[in-house]
Amino acid sequence: MSRAASTWLSEAVAVFTKDWRCELRTRYALNTVLLFALTTLVVVSVALGPLGADQQARGAVLPMLLWLILLFAAAAGLPRVFGHEEEKHTATALRLAATPSALFAGKLAFSLVLFFAIEALTAPLFLAMMQLPVAHPGRFVAALAAGGYGLAAASTLVAAIVGQARGQSTLFAVLSFPVLLPLLLLAIAATRAAVLGGDAGAELTQLVLYDASMTIVGLMLFPVIWNP
Amino acid sequence: MSEATLLDFAGVVRAFGRLRVLGGVGGRVAPGEVLAVGGPNGSGKSTLLKCLAGLLAPDRGRIDYREDGESLDTAARRHRVGFLSPDLALYQELSVAENIGFFCRLRGLPAARGEELRARVGLPAERLCGALSSGMRQRLRWAFALLHRPRLLLLDEPLEHFDAAGVALAAALLAEHLDAGGLAVVANPSHLELPRVAGRIDLAL
Repeated sequence: MSRAASTWLSEAVAVFTKDWRCELRTRYALNTVLLFALTTLVVVSVALGPLGADQQARGAVLPMLLWLILLFAAAAGLPRVFGHEEEKHTATALRLAATPSALFAGKLAFSLVLFFAIEALTAPLFLAMMQLPVAHPGRFVAALAAGGYGLAAASTLVAAIVGQARGQSTLFAVLSFPVLLPLLLLAIAATRAAVLGGDAGAELTQLVLYDASMTIVGLMLFPVIWNP
Repeated sequence: MSEATLLDFAGVVRAFGRLRVLGGVGGRVAPGEVLAVGGPNGSGKSTLLKCLAGLLAPDRGRIDYREDGESLDTAARRHRVGFLSPDLALYQELSVAENIGFFCRLRGLPAARGEELRARVGLPAERLCGALSSGMRQRLRWAFALLHRPRLLLLDEPLEHFDAAGVALAAALLAEHLDAGGLAVVANPSHLELPRVAGRIDLAL
């Protein structure tokens, strides 16, 4: 590894470590996201219960509900990854000291770990509370991983765009809708196929392509967004 | 340091919407010299320093900063300068040592450099930044600005919240910086004894 790549990686790791250290001491995003996910999960499961409909009908509807819960949980916590740097006036120090793409990579890694933790907690609970069997657990996990990566990457990029603006929550919702819509449709289709035992290969491939595109676009676009 | 290290700017204009804050400001600083920037609140001192640091883009004008004869673009200038401002905050959830260590890692500096500077500015390593007094936070800002041994220091309100010991520390740090061939632009230096003043810009409202 070249010295430049090593320095870049070290910067990204430093940002990731710093964000988690701050998060574990305040637990702001963790508490917000987990409470939101658990509350919506309980509301959905109590309102619907183990649906009396057949497996085919439940398998068609419940994956969509799972992704809606995950989407709103992400929207509750991930926009803060850049917003709080602006609110607390720490963004200036980062602009002076950090390489923008390394900063984005560190923030993306933070968002990914946070979102995968939400998924790891929410998905098994959802399956248990809705008594939903999964025909292909491996594909189910792959759909959650690929969809979760895309959701975290897109949310981090949109959070960077709206980070310096007023009315961040509204802007986040407006800007993320067109970016996240194709991802959610693919993730729901892949999860549904995994639950019902269908082939999710095409959807998973498209999800991986979406994830790669969002990462590359983020790394290229972020320096332009971040700096004046 | 080479004589080819130089900050030279002219005709810097910056407005926020219809409010024109800087109306064509210029100046020049060479190694070992200080450029003093004065003026009442709201006259644009902080805006000028942010433009010089590359944190704000001027609407018009030229800012040329050279190190060893090489002219740096805005991104390189932003990364190289040492910047201190009342707006600059560090992480309240982290301790002094963790804050300094984080910025050492971002700048690819050994941890020993951060430790040396922390001891120099007299801050307790383990105290959380959120539990520091205003004067201590200002000392931490000085440490942040000097961490990577910048040649150009941009100091906005460098004595804010300082007691007599803090003022003496700031004067010593600035003198050491200039003795090493560094250059500085200092906004609102009313209580700071400035050695080798190259010029003074008085901004008006």
